Amino acid sequence: MNDLQRTRLPGLADATDAVLAVRAAQGDERAFEMIVRRHGSLMRAYAARILGGWADSDDVVQTAFITAWNKLPDLADGTALKAWLMRITSHAAIDRIRARKDHSSLEDYDAPTPESKSPAAIAENHSQIEALSGALEKLPQIQRQCWIMREVGGESYDEIAKQLDVPLSTVRGALSRARAGLITEMEAWR
Amino acid sequence: MTEFFGLDDFEPRQLDGYTIDDLTDYLERGRTPRDESIESSAGCQIALASLERLRELSRDLLTNESGASAPVSEGWVSGILSNIGREARSGRTIPLQHGADSVDLSITEGAVRGLIRQAGDSVPGVIIGSCVLRGDVTSPGEPIAIEVSASAFVEVPLLETADRIRRVVYDAVRRHTELTVSTVDVVIDDVLLPISDESASDSPSDRNGVQ
Repeated sequence: MNDLQRTRLPGLADATDAVLAVRAAQGDERAFEMIVRRHGSLMRAYAARILGGWADSDDVVQTAFITAWNKLPDLADGTALKAWLMRITSHAAIDRIRARKDHSSLEDYDAPTPESKSPAAIAENHSQIEALSGALEKLPQIQRQCWIMREVGGESYDEIAKQLDVPLSTVRGALSRARAGLITEMEAWR
Repeated sequence: MTEFFGLDDFEPRQLDGYTIDDLTDYLERGRTPRDESIESSAGCQIALASLERLRELSRDLLTNESGASAPVSEGWVSGILSNIGREARSGRTIPLQHGADSVDLSITEGAVRGLIRQAGDSVPGVIIGSCVLRGDVTSPGEPIAIEVSASAFVEVPLLETADRIRRVVYDAVRRHTELTVSTVDVVIDDVLLPISDESASDSPSDRNGVQ
């Protein structure tokens, strides 16, 4: 039993996403809280990227988590929890952008700026990420949204088309133009 | 900006007739089946390397610079938790017979699942997963089968542990409800690896959460 004494026994915080998902689906709020702690920050950052600023990202993620809680019983594969949450987040973010347009006031949003500098921030590729971030800000909104959902969120072309309510060909075209623009800029960062 | 290994742009004439989109499709197919004309083209190789780097940077976009690994604030977490609807998960209503006929007492299926989870989690090295009550829980005396799945720490003896889970679950349900439990089935469907002291200071979300 020496080994058991030397090592910490696992608690709910060590549970896999699949376990947390099934427990939350069956009403376990503590499991849901672990999901919020584990994925909340990433969802916030993802929302901010799609929204083009941090302004509404907290609200959007709150909405996304409420949707997630309600729909968890329908999630068939708990191991896909993270991708599923990312999809719900982009959906909530797109809804928010539509709502803004209905109020037809805001056109320019503040660019997402890093909230805190982590030690990783001084890593070698940091400046390239900054450059990519800047290049993305310059893209037309549809191109930026498609790129973020595809390459950051890992969503399929179909999902993106559905979420943005545009034809698949529009998504393909936007991604193609975004790619061409970004890759050409990237050559200049070398 | 052009360097000796770079390209002015990524036009098909520099990519031996391929477009950036062709090369993206090729990358997304995992570069299989291998296409010699792409693999032997210097222009395509440069473009493929750039595309891969671009995808890599895009994936890092959230995790590296946006505070995505920073812990969320307590107020934010409790704000979310206070907004979720609990009633939706309460399940069936399980009657409790009590001395007085005039008093209607019951417990929800959700609450019973909660106490089963709590009992199972109390077994050292165990995290309960799903928990299902089979049978008509709304009719007193009907036999009920309980199915529980669990993750177990790799260093605990599995058979003994499954048996302990079965016993604590059975006891908890008997103590707190009037359900007639016919069987408690325990499936250990995942094994958890040891968490060493050295990594104990890491936040668990770093290890288990986002890759």
